[in-house]
Amino acid sequence: MYSSLILIPFFSVIVLNLPFRTLMKKSAFWVCIALSLIQIFAVLFSPTGSLGNLTEMFFSFLRVDLWIDNLSRIMLLCIGIVLFTAAWVQKELSKDEERQFNFMNVLLLLLAGLNGIVLVRDIFSLYVFLEITAVSSFILIGFNKERDAFEAAFKYIILSVIATALMLTSIGLLLMIAGDTSFATISATLKTSPDKLLAMFAVAIFLCAAFIKGGVMPFHGWLPDAYSASPASVSVILAGVVTKTVGVYTLIRIVYSVFGYSPALTLILLIVGTLSVVLGALAALGQSDFKRMLAYSSISQVGYIVLGLATGSMLGLAGAVFHLFNHSIFKSLLFVNSAAVESSTGTRNMDNLAGLAKKMPVTGTTSILASLSCAGIPPLAGFWSKLLIIVALWMGKFYAFAIIAALASILTLAYFLSLQRRVFFGKLREDLAHIKESGFGFLLSMTILALITIGAGLGFPFILNSFLLPVKTISGG
Amino acid sequence: MGALLLPILIPLIAGILSLLITKRFRILSEVVVLWATFFNLVIAVLLFKNNLTVSLPMTHWGLTFSLRLYHFSGFIMLAVAGFAALIALYSVVFMKGKDHLNQFYGYFLITLALTNGAVLANNLIVMLFFWEGLLLVLFGMIAIGNKMAYKTATKAFIIVGVTDLCMMLGIALTGHLAGTLTMSKIHLPLIGLGNLAFILLMIGAISKAGAMPFHSWIPDAAVDAPLPFMALVPAAFEKLLGIYFLARISLDLFNLIPGSWVSIVLMTIGAITIILAVMMALIQKDYKRLLSYHAISQVGYMILGIGTALPVGIVGGLFHMINHALYKSGLFLTGGSVEKQTGTTNLEKLGGIGTKMPVTFACFLITACAISGVPPLNGFFSKELIYDGALERGWIFYAAAILGSFLTAASFLKLGHSAFLGKLHESNKNTQEAPIPMLIPMIIIASLCILFGVFNYLPLNNFIQPILGTARLHGHNFAGFPTNPFLVLMTAVVIVAAILNHFWGVKSKGSAIKAVDHIHYAPILSTIYEKAEKRFFDPYDIGMQVAQRIAEAAFWCDRKIDWFYEVLTVKITFAFTHSIKKAHDGSYSTYLAWSLVGGLLVVLFLMFSV
Repeated sequence: MYSSLILIPFFSVIVLNLPFRTLMKKSAFWVCIALSLIQIFAVLFSPTGSLGNLTEMFFSFLRVDLWIDNLSRIMLLCIGIVLFTAAWVQKELSKDEERQFNFMNVLLLLLAGLNGIVLVRDIFSLYVFLEITAVSSFILIGFNKERDAFEAAFKYIILSVIATALMLTSIGLLLMIAGDTSFATISATLKTSPDKLLAMFAVAIFLCAAFIKGGVMPFHGWLPDAYSASPASVSVILAGVVTKTVGVYTLIRIVYSVFGYSPALTLILLIVGTLSVVLGALAALGQSDFKRMLAYSSISQVGYIVLGLATGSMLGLAGAVFHLFNHSIFKSLLFVNSAAVESSTGTRNMDNLAGLAKKMPVTGTTSILASLSCAGIPPLAGFWSKLLIIVALWMGKFYAFAIIAALASILTLAYFLSLQRRVFFGKLREDLAHIKESGFGFLLSMTILALITIGAGLGFPFILNSFLLPVKTISGG
Repeated sequence: MGALLLPILIPLIAGILSLLITKRFRILSEVVVLWATFFNLVIAVLLFKNNLTVSLPMTHWGLTFSLRLYHFSGFIMLAVAGFAALIALYSVVFMKGKDHLNQFYGYFLITLALTNGAVLANNLIVMLFFWEGLLLVLFGMIAIGNKMAYKTATKAFIIVGVTDLCMMLGIALTGHLAGTLTMSKIHLPLIGLGNLAFILLMIGAISKAGAMPFHSWIPDAAVDAPLPFMALVPAAFEKLLGIYFLARISLDLFNLIPGSWVSIVLMTIGAITIILAVMMALIQKDYKRLLSYHAISQVGYMILGIGTALPVGIVGGLFHMINHALYKSGLFLTGGSVEKQTGTTNLEKLGGIGTKMPVTFACFLITACAISGVPPLNGFFSKELIYDGALERGWIFYAAAILGSFLTAASFLKLGHSAFLGKLHESNKNTQEAPIPMLIPMIIIASLCILFGVFNYLPLNNFIQPILGTARLHGHNFAGFPTNPFLVLMTAVVIVAAILNHFWGVKSKGSAIKAVDHIHYAPILSTIYEKAEKRFFDPYDIGMQVAQRIAEAAFWCDRKIDWFYEVLTVKITFAFTHSIKKAHDGSYSTYLAWSLVGGLLVVLFLMFSV
């Protein structure tokens, strides 16, 4: 059944573009919405385990095994929610049917790629779906055909190509060592392999590839441009799921299920995570572009996830995965907020904004909720995930990193308060007196996301026991 | 057994009742206050000479609400009840037409209830409860005076509050040392921490009594607070209560012996209080303010007497306590009469009213003689006993006490002369004698001053000496005329000297009010006086200035801490932010270089870890 999560988007694209294309124009949006909703509900009420294989029915010599576990389920859930949001935002932003149709097609391709990454069990299929996702993302970033967007897309392509090259090299080496590309075999071989140096080289360059894709410091060069120059709906997807799935999920999966931990690897993850947390937050503090600040904030938050992963403990992993989920929700929400503000006022420069909370109450309120959640203020969801990560760091005896992570929360709060003060609080500027609250699509998605971040915070004990702690079962192959 | 609760409950209920009575039913609140104080007096008389205890367990960890009536507490209660009844009668006339009547009567009665409670309490915590309650009504009573009274009320509240805190610590320490809080079971030696506990409790006691350096609110209250309050609280109740507690800790809770340094401390405080307060009294130009300084000075005699730790001194101190309560409240009441009838207590606007108010003048004369120690009035006998004790402990203390007597006599000569004698002041032409209800208390008090003097064996044998018991007295009986002819002679010399000094002063300066100017403007004294009048030596003001400096220092530190967080940290943060922003120059090559260098480092690090 889960193979349909990959196949249906593919076939939808084909069906939508067959001779009836003109008739299908209007339905593309609803197909997206329907697929994302189906995905959300399917994930919430499904068992875990083997899903059979994807391509058996076509080619008996090429098997792509699919598998779903608790980590995959959480990722699928994020993908569904964020896609739903992005589709609504795009509908609000672009009234041109043709453009909307094109956008939705690419979005469906992206959906198939993302779902594929999450469900596959071998390193080569992972690579294939990563590429599908990456190519869809290039198109989406440059979708508005603006100069900045092209530059951003180009930066992303270049760094992504480097990542791809590294990853392919690594896969080749691993295939050579293990004779197979499935996670289980590689994991088993790496433990017993006589050629440790080569294996470690393969691991190292794969890690670098994942770092680039995940946009952690110092591999993040493409990220601020890509997030801020792309259309609003694309920023939501990029920040919400693409970077998270392509980079962070891959990192978690590969480190936790395939490579396993070593002291050196833990140290690398800790250093990269701390760098991202601190430098990302410091950089965010200096931004005056709404989306650019959110982009740097994303880097900082991904740093927390990496820190949680670095501990290698059950608690740390639960924290990392929960923060991954929370970040998808609140960062998407903040990008929707920024899109709403931009569509109402025509600017993203925070120095030209003030006092919007009165004119845009829903946007103002939800952005405060998202900011507080991101800064780790109880009882919102972000507080619990950060707490888990910091506690896990402390229990893992990484005291210095725990303290830095805790202190960096203050920086997070600082830049979000500065954002709130500059955009939503204070006296309304006279030239903004005429603005109105944003449209239905914005309000719907903002409300839903805000409710999720509150609900996940208040229902934390339930979520911890039924979703997060079972994540530990993904270990091994 | 329940009878012991009556002296607390009756005034308390009556007090709450009169707080509730509105201004329209003024008569009703007067009836309430008169009957309540009368009943209280009857109960006190009936209870006197009984020995009763009440013990109601209050908490499971051993705090019992225990009251104990025995000779000492019965005597104090009787005295308190007597003053309350007399001053209630006086107030009903005096307070007519004043604001906040219901509050005044309410606080009056609650003060009475709490004083009874504090005297009867046999548990230190229970006593502390009543003691602190008095602080509350003290604040209320001063605050309802004139418009600036709230400042004085705050001053009193802070001074007494701080000393009460000392007492609270003392009680905790005493309880810790003794293992019990029941007062009748505590008998501690004055060694080690016991000294500290004693000093802390003593601070509470002498501050309540109004000794230096805890006195400075009293002269202010004399001007700001309603006059009956002055006659009732600082002149009578607080002296009785403070000296009662001082005697309790010196005689029962601890065993004060003549050789101990604590005894020297007490005598020193007493001697300094006598001299400094009377020096200040000497130069006052206001009837009530002058009296209030004497209320402080006289405490010095009591503390000096008890501080000697000799039977003769202690008997003298306690006798002086009741005598002082009599003549000082009597003096305040004459001051109240003068204020009521002439509208002022400023000595410069008074003069020659002795003929217009003969009864008041007579009462003043008797009480003033009593406070100056003129035989055969009560003040003479108690002072002689104190002199006796002081001389035995050291001539310096005796010298201070006798100098105090000289100045006291001089200042009352000045007061009496300038207020009641001399030329009639123009504004007093139509002055009349005070109404009868105000005269009755004064007459009774003045007669008691004579009675306690001429027949001094009555109070001494019935009230004072049983407090010490025959064992402590070693068979002495201090009633009757003083046995030491030297002391009597000295007292006579001092009084004559004071009179001569007064007439010399009047003659040289030309008016009664300037009779002591040669002391006031003596070379060194004049500068000291000038500074004292400007409150340079007021411990409260000094304390407030110190507090101000501390607050400024704390504010300075706070600004620095604030600067650290708000300026320095922010600046450092933004310096980082700025450099990070600069590094993001948007060029492909930079970002590529970062990624490649980072990747290289990761690879190398992992490879070398194998």
